[in-house]
Amino acid sequence: MSDAFTEIGRALPRKEDRRLVTGRGRYLDDLAFPGALHVSFVRSPHAHARILGIDSVEAAAMPGVMGVFTGRDLDQWTTRLRLAPPIEGLQPTELTTLPIDKVRFHGDPVACVVATDRYLAEDAAECVVVDYEQIPAVTSIEEAFAPDAVLVDETLSSNMVSHQSLCVGDPAARRAEAHRVVSARFALHRHTHAPLETRGCVADWDDGRAHLNMHIGNQVPHPLRSQLAARLGLSESQVTVMSPDVGGAFGQKIALYREELAVAALSRHLRHPLRWREDRMENLMAAAHAREYECRTRAAVSETGKILGLELEIDEDFGGYCFYPANYMARVIALIMTGPYRIQDYAYEVRVALTNKCGAGPMRAPMAVTSWVMEGTIDAIARELGLDPVEVRRINALGPGDLPYTMPTGEVLEDVTPKETLETAVAAIDVAAFRERQARARSEGRYLGLGLCTVIESTTYGSEFYKSAGIPGSGHEAAWVRIEPSGAVNASVGLMGTGQGYESPLAQAVAEGLGVRSEDVTVHMGNTDIAPYGMGSRGGRGATAGGGTLYLCALKARERVLAIAASMLDLNDAGGLRMRAGHIERMIGEDWQKTGLALTDIARRAYLDPLALPEGVAPGLDFSHSYDPPAMTYSNSTHACEVEVDPQTGAISIDRYIVAEDCGTVLNPIVVRGQQQGAIAMGLSGALLEQVIYDGAGQNLSATLADYLVASPNELPEFEILHHHTPNQRTPAGIKGMAEGGVMGAIGVIANAVSDALAPHGMTIERLPLTPQSICALLQEAATSPAKRTQL
Amino acid sequence: MNAHKPEPLTLSLSVNGQTYDLQVPARKLLSDVLREDLGLTGTHVGCEHGVCGACTVLIDGRPARACLTFAAQMEGHDITTIEAVGRPDALSVLQQALHEEHGLQCGFCTPGIVMTFEHYLRENPAPTADEVRDVLSGNLCRCTGYQNIVAAVLKAAARMRGEAA
Amino acid sequence: MKPAQFTYHRPASLAEALALLRTHGSSAKSLAGGQSLGPMLNMRLARPDHLVDLNDLIELDSVRVSDDMVEIGALTRHHRVANAPELRRSLPLLSAAAASIGHYAIRQRGTIGGSLAHADPAAQLPLIAVTLGASLVIAGLQGTRNVVAADFLQSIMTVDLRDGELITALRFPLPVGGFWAFEHFSRRHGDFAIVSVALNFAQDADGKIDALRLGLGGVDTVPLRLPEIEARAQGRPADEDTIRELAAATASAIAPEDSAQVPASYRRRLAETLVIRAFQSALNREEGA
Repeated sequence: MSDAFTEIGRALPRKEDRRLVTGRGRYLDDLAFPGALHVSFVRSPHAHARILGIDSVEAAAMPGVMGVFTGRDLDQWTTRLRLAPPIEGLQPTELTTLPIDKVRFHGDPVACVVATDRYLAEDAAECVVVDYEQIPAVTSIEEAFAPDAVLVDETLSSNMVSHQSLCVGDPAARRAEAHRVVSARFALHRHTHAPLETRGCVADWDDGRAHLNMHIGNQVPHPLRSQLAARLGLSESQVTVMSPDVGGAFGQKIALYREELAVAALSRHLRHPLRWREDRMENLMAAAHAREYECRTRAAVSETGKILGLELEIDEDFGGYCFYPANYMARVIALIMTGPYRIQDYAYEVRVALTNKCGAGPMRAPMAVTSWVMEGTIDAIARELGLDPVEVRRINALGPGDLPYTMPTGEVLEDVTPKETLETAVAAIDVAAFRERQARARSEGRYLGLGLCTVIESTTYGSEFYKSAGIPGSGHEAAWVRIEPSGAVNASVGLMGTGQGYESPLAQAVAEGLGVRSEDVTVHMGNTDIAPYGMGSRGGRGATAGGGTLYLCALKARERVLAIAASMLDLNDAGGLRMRAGHIERMIGEDWQKTGLALTDIARRAYLDPLALPEGVAPGLDFSHSYDPPAMTYSNSTHACEVEVDPQTGAISIDRYIVAEDCGTVLNPIVVRGQQQGAIAMGLSGALLEQVIYDGAGQNLSATLADYLVASPNELPEFEILHHHTPNQRTPAGIKGMAEGGVMGAIGVIANAVSDALAPHGMTIERLPLTPQSICALLQEAATSPAKRTQL
Repeated sequence: MNAHKPEPLTLSLSVNGQTYDLQVPARKLLSDVLREDLGLTGTHVGCEHGVCGACTVLIDGRPARACLTFAAQMEGHDITTIEAVGRPDALSVLQQALHEEHGLQCGFCTPGIVMTFEHYLRENPAPTADEVRDVLSGNLCRCTGYQNIVAAVLKAAARMRGEAA
Repeated sequence: MKPAQFTYHRPASLAEALALLRTHGSSAKSLAGGQSLGPMLNMRLARPDHLVDLNDLIELDSVRVSDDMVEIGALTRHHRVANAPELRRSLPLLSAAAASIGHYAIRQRGTIGGSLAHADPAAQLPLIAVTLGASLVIAGLQGTRNVVAADFLQSIMTVDLRDGELITALRFPLPVGGFWAFEHFSRRHGDFAIVSVALNFAQDADGKIDALRLGLGGVDTVPLRLPEIEARAQGRPADEDTIRELAAATASAIAPEDSAQVPASYRRRLAETLVIRAFQSALNREEGA
């Protein structure tokens, strides 16, 4: 990292901690709205059924009930969500605020009860009688794509809501000339985000001003406001979105969900503040799910393991509704699949299925499966050719001489270090010593495994990426910096933190650009009347887009401050001036010396004595800036872990976990380390424990936290993190972004490590999660039919 | 549905050393009464089935799930919530350690963790890392991966014992 | 997720509690620690009209050790069962199992009587009660009766407790031998075990197994004691061959059913493994002691 920085890179503990550790944070449900009514939703007990009628007479007459509303009611007060971006192979979809004619998954909201408190609302919700006619449920990709499949969305011609393919170079020719063609399969299971704070909102319609105040924990306040205004037929001037402290989101708090829109519409209809707090069962069943993929690869390889060509098929189970264009997640996976490896002949086919399950959305690392698929393919090559998996990685990995590297999909990698992180991880975990331990253990009937997984993490999506990928959207971010008359520094950006800890690192970006101490900068986020219109928090864009924009904006502010300082010091220009910790310094000889002038003096001049400002300098110190990052920025890492599989119980213990990571310039190492740990934990928890389970009839069997298993501290290892810092040459301060790669690497590395452990049995992990019962089933299978060498 | 509607109960609750007289329905959860009737919103509700631990408070000094307790049961008992443990400008030893070790991210689970360990470290002032993990297993955290929380608890314990850490 | 309405009762004495339970019959439910009933109420899976709170019956929070048995009041919390020195001495198997229930905060509230009354087939305390041959003291307005745990537990969440009755205590005979172990396996720390094994035995002068008690949880609708395996072990040396044979016989003796996530074959496999590990841990502990 550059030594030139004084504020960027400081290990500052987080500003928000003091309120959060003392219970003084203000999350949505902590905000008091006197007289607010409470909302509870009536949800479908069936996966797929026609709604023949809804009888709410008894419910509406119950104590405290102010009304019961259905999809038909809400359809009068809201517009429908139509998703029809001009993307080839994507079927247009449209959905109403609440279902009117049929439900599409277990937990689908069918009616909305408004009452004076949540207890009474739940009492009444139980008494709403919905007359359903059940339809057979589509509960797998295979069922969805069957020729005679029942249609989940009857306006579509099939359940294949999206289908894209690409072929670059000549993979078929490479296959024909290859020494060997290696096939591999990867099935990732359905996850859900499970933030500790569930969804919720308070819609407070101000009837006098005809204005909606929407309090909601959300990652993207401005895009949410645009959605709300459009769906309610309001102007964007009539809606304010305010996001308080948020108890985690992980991608679940981006879309405008149907429940939230219903609450907003009903607040306006009833002219009353309304509050909704989703309970945990609703959250696990009906908020958003993610990650259900079946992937297949075919790699054409040389005798030495060099990859000549790669073909990829991805099928995704998208659930019952499209809150995002259905190609949104899977396509990114296909675009960046080749990642750290030198591959030019490449083809992919991506098919997305609608099923009778909760709708899918992005979850921390929407492209999470990518690294498992690519690195699992590498391991498959090593296995089939009898090569060392480290050598197969080395022979294919991009090194410094390959950069910048244009992937076959046109994505450009620059300033990444996959070969370097691979070597760091391989050296740190000492592969040679491990292989000796592994051999000894095997002779004692113990099964140790070592996994490796190199990750290319797409972090910041610029507008150019969206355009070339055919996804509507902008990747820019906006910021303002204002030095107040007292010299206080305020700033704002369109991001919204949901636990990452933005307040310190973003203050550091401003402080670095301006020349003040980070402690003296306050960053305001989450209120659309205060923050500039930005694209919010998603992916790994916070540091590059948010921090980068604030840094550039602060540089702009510094230029003005120094110009005023120069005039106050009777200098011709600001060339020999700088500001450090809010004090103006002047280069005299070889040294920076204090001038006695401070930011407070400049501010006083700018606001209270503007006539004394130099010619052409406007009063005040108020700056704004917007910035569109490069098409894509990438960070990279290599994960390495050692596991032991207990062949008697199928239990997996992680004995060591190392990651070598390069995320460029780091704004705040404390926060970055926390993000790395949290991402790895989420990946491991997902690979080992978590699973949204539907039975064959589409009943959700995992709607409590006793059934949807989020890891406790006892299932997770300590993470050793080794740092590389290669700045991105094209971003402000060399920032790259991070926070999702840990998920990608963890899933791949644990699967590869367990496959390595099971190698003596000839078994490979092709399906997650790694439940102990599935491990035992594999071992059983290996024992009974040695010919069958892979997991079903 | 019950045909009858029971009258709300008149209760006297002792919370953080203060006595509150209030009327609440018998079925109202302690977590909801603390948050809605007493305005003590530091006790968070994460699951309402006793798994996540976010709502952990102390009942007569011992940690308990507020979501599995009815306020009506609490007459005659002393309740302690996060609001009685430290202030933003005067953190407890454990809170300070959580801050220094980056033992929290979104902070939603944190009050429950603080309440659990404020008690536990009195019962066991010198826990091992494994013991801390065992106790911490009753408080789910979705953000941190727990490593820094364990480090913070061990650091706080050492400081409380008067050892430098 | 809020409970349905109920009328709350807080009796000050056992007599008052019994009178309330008799008056309200099947429309009443008694509430002890609330760690299992609480979630069921919140999810409206349980919806009694009357909730009778037993927490003021502090006389039921008690531990009495006599020459031939240990009596533990029904309202005794898991944390006390796990940590009370007299219990750790006299019934170490019970204490060890109690220490593994749920989580620290759960153990502060949950009670031994509540755990038996709830009768989850994977729960620790019903398993230990069955394994050690405990009996329950059940009070009703007509007086008290004693039921052995194995008869009390009838099926999943189904017990021999009539309307108007309350468990007041559990009585454990003092174990005959010093060898004991509790082994359980769950995917996540603190969760209900998929399978659990409890055992207790003595060794005669020649080191032969004597008076084995072997119980398994999670393999049937109730915790099982396996008398045929116990008989088979009698007088056998506690060596690896015997242990393996007993474990294999255990796996054949049980008939778990396939459930949505866990195939019967896996439960069998776990049972066999955990029996072996339980013997090993019992023997190792004794060696170490």
